[in-house]
Amino acid sequence: MGRLLRSRPFEPATARSFPTQMLKRVALFAIVALYTAFAAGPFVWVATMSVRTTSEISLDHYAWPAKWHWEKFAQAWFNSNYNVYFENSLLVVASAVAVLTVVGSMAAHCFARYRFPANRVLYFVIFSTIIFPPQITIIALFQILVQYGLYDSLVGLALVYVAVQLPLTVYVLESFFARIPGDLFDAARIDGYSEWLIFWKVSLPIALPAIATAVILNTILLWNEFLYAVVLITDESRRTLPLGIQRFMGDQLEDVGMIATGLMIAIVPVVLIYMFFSEKLIQGMTAGAVK
Amino acid sequence: MAKVSLRRLSKRFPSASAPAVDAVDLDVAHGEFMVLLGPSGCGKSTTLRMIAGLESITAGELAIDGQRVNDVPAKDRDIAMVFQSYALYPHMTVFDNLAFGLRRRNFRSTEIERRVRDVADTLGLSALLARKPYALSGGQRQRVALGRAIVRDPKVFLFDEPLSNLDAALRVGMRGELIKLHHRLGATMIYVTHDQVEAMTMGDRICIMNGGKVVQIGGPLDVYRDPVDTFVAGFLGSPPTNLLPGKFDADRLVIGDNGLPIERRDVPENVIFGIRPEDVTIGGDGAHARGEVLAVEPLGAETIVRFRLSGVVQDVLVRGPRTVAARVGESVPLTFDLRSAHLFDPATLHRIV
Amino acid sequence: MASLVSRPTGVRAGAATRVDRQPWSAIVLFLLPAFTVYTALTAYPVLRTLWNSVHTVLPHSARFAGIANYAALVHDDIFWRSVRNTFIWSCVSPVAEVSIGLLLALALYARIPGRRFLRIAWFTPVLMSYVVVGIIWVWIYNYDWGAANAILRAIGLGRYVQAWIGDPRIALPSLIFVTTWMWTGFNMVVLLAAMHSLPSEVLEAAELDNCGWTAKLWHVVIPLIRPTILNLVVLSFIGKMKIFDLVWITTKGGPLWSTETVSTYLYKRAFEWSTFDLGYPSTIAAVWFVIVLAGVFALTWLFRQRERLEF
Repeated sequence: MGRLLRSRPFEPATARSFPTQMLKRVALFAIVALYTAFAAGPFVWVATMSVRTTSEISLDHYAWPAKWHWEKFAQAWFNSNYNVYFENSLLVVASAVAVLTVVGSMAAHCFARYRFPANRVLYFVIFSTIIFPPQITIIALFQILVQYGLYDSLVGLALVYVAVQLPLTVYVLESFFARIPGDLFDAARIDGYSEWLIFWKVSLPIALPAIATAVILNTILLWNEFLYAVVLITDESRRTLPLGIQRFMGDQLEDVGMIATGLMIAIVPVVLIYMFFSEKLIQGMTAGAVK
Repeated sequence: MAKVSLRRLSKRFPSASAPAVDAVDLDVAHGEFMVLLGPSGCGKSTTLRMIAGLESITAGELAIDGQRVNDVPAKDRDIAMVFQSYALYPHMTVFDNLAFGLRRRNFRSTEIERRVRDVADTLGLSALLARKPYALSGGQRQRVALGRAIVRDPKVFLFDEPLSNLDAALRVGMRGELIKLHHRLGATMIYVTHDQVEAMTMGDRICIMNGGKVVQIGGPLDVYRDPVDTFVAGFLGSPPTNLLPGKFDADRLVIGDNGLPIERRDVPENVIFGIRPEDVTIGGDGAHARGEVLAVEPLGAETIVRFRLSGVVQDVLVRGPRTVAARVGESVPLTFDLRSAHLFDPATLHRIV
Repeated sequence: MASLVSRPTGVRAGAATRVDRQPWSAIVLFLLPAFTVYTALTAYPVLRTLWNSVHTVLPHSARFAGIANYAALVHDDIFWRSVRNTFIWSCVSPVAEVSIGLLLALALYARIPGRRFLRIAWFTPVLMSYVVVGIIWVWIYNYDWGAANAILRAIGLGRYVQAWIGDPRIALPSLIFVTTWMWTGFNMVVLLAAMHSLPSEVLEAAELDNCGWTAKLWHVVIPLIRPTILNLVVLSFIGKMKIFDLVWITTKGGPLWSTETVSTYLYKRAFEWSTFDLGYPSTIAAVWFVIVLAGVFALTWLFRQRERLEF
């Protein structure tokens, strides 16, 4: 079982001189540190600003918070409607992701496990829409929602979100479903399970990791979604979080402190998910890009 | 060709409690075909990789042609290796795969051309030079991997279980090819395998390893006939040596309910009696034991019969001739060739006689 | 046992029952919800947009317009400006994002300490909403107190301070910089995964073939991750062709159309300008749709892997 040890890059015997090694490592380190500051810096900055009042910020934009004004979060939440935006986002995203998971896994299971003439064609039809620019559907979606009275409603938005994320969901799940060994299905059939039960009791439980990945992925992408929301929602009381934040940009004439707090409210759920599920999330978002 | 010396060579991985390779002493002579044999995880591959320079050496000395090479990078050791998975460059043609090492060493292109074509001819790859690895069969890929090593004309050839990924028929053929290759090139070759048939047929000498340590070094027949302990006795040969517990009683060795006329001479009272299946005859005069037939496995050229000796827990395997007149359930006399038998100390598992 | 014929395993592991005994009702049941959604909210809208494009679509009526919209499009300067901007974005971004991502991946591949943390840290910009990112960068680009100019002043390069998104000449590059900031981490993670999936024995063989670090990278690693690199380029291209959120938050297409993209222009014509005609924007959408598809096909064909890279 020495093979197991070989999956890491090996450390061969080297005879390189110490100084050049040192120099290379220092240079590498410097680049890494610089880039980390570059990537993470903006967020740290926003985080500090979120707990400082706007007047404090105006004095010095880059100072470390002297006093941590945690009450700003409460202010943003209750006084600036962030609670409404947050709730709306939560509702829309949760329902859309739930529907997506069920509908997507049903389709993925079918594509992966049944051989029928139209299988590949239908799969391609759904999968190819990943390339479509949203512009091709957005105007018509607007018209359709207006026509059916779903314009400016969370229900309408959620439905649109389901359609938008369906191709990706089916794609992520299909490859996983396909890898489940067929013997399990054969055994279940012999035991007399109906096709639906096989889906519920065999496919879904085994595919839980992929489903979890799809759920996390969809949650984050839809939580951050802006274009469809801005087109299909206008009423203040139904805005999702991205819309709510955007409103403040023009609205409060650069109440930088409050906006920063609002940004943090939007960022925190994502960061939490990321902290707990970083591996899954990274894998999910990058799946399929690796060939 | 060159000689390779290992002195107390050790490798300890950072997270492991026990060393993967523990103080290995080994001398490989000029032009010798040395086989490192042992079960999975015994440290043979790690040892090979240390010789190649792909693993750093924790302790001990490694010398090639008398020069210490512990800190010499792999590429400067003038060593070529054939990997178990062939490790061909997937994006290069066969020609480029063979030529790559030479190009990296700034050989003249005429020289490269000559060498590659020579080797391709020898290995029957001439028609495949423009193909990429994905278009080759397993056996062809193996030959390209071999060719890549030969073309370098190195001091030492290293093989890391190169035949394990081939199917049985191909394996037998390649074994012959490698033996012929060794005779022709006369190069020093170190070969790692867990297959004792390969070891026996190909090696000038075999170094048997277990648990990171060297157990025995010797020529194939020497190791076969005179195993140093029960591990070697049980590892070489298929079916393996029968190892039965015995106790001396006056002038007999009692195994179960059977007694063998063996003199006790400076040996402990309890011993392990070892005898190879081919050294037991069914029937014969002067039967040493009676065995009840449990199973008869006809192999075509011979038959393996499984016996139960009364009073003995383990089954005894016996190699019989093509047809054996024994049926399951019969009780049959067995004769042991006592000159080829061994006694092992049950405490140390070492051979005593 | 020679008479036993092994069962063909089919296209994928455990491909199911034979065609004639397919559980058709189950298949339809499984696919129905997905395809209902797809048809109603994706396929039909596409068709409707195409229909719109040959009509003048007013709030309560629609008049057939033939190719009038398409003809008007040809002369629409703003449209072509936005196409130019979007194309510049889609061509520059992949190059920048993937090459920098590659360099970063190489740095982590070299096993520097803290790489697990770094991998997670460098990935974070990808997770944030474009809204959040947009606002932060508007602040960074602020002329008076934004970080960009503040840093320049702090290191003595004060004469280089700019109105990063207020100056038509550099607004677009400034935005391209932002998307690069966002997506480089993503590319890095993907490339790193690709590198780690390379068989270590091939790299060892290269080591024995007299390859140092750079030689290994050039001759082995990069050729073998070429398919992944291509994938990332295509992904980046598609992403930039669609871009809306970032522009909307930061510059809304200004100043002076310098950052106008096709999607912002379309949005304005459909929902902001008081023309009330949805036909013309639909034309824009239709034309753009074709251009995007063509672009993707061209890219994939251009960089296609001519043979399989099995390993």
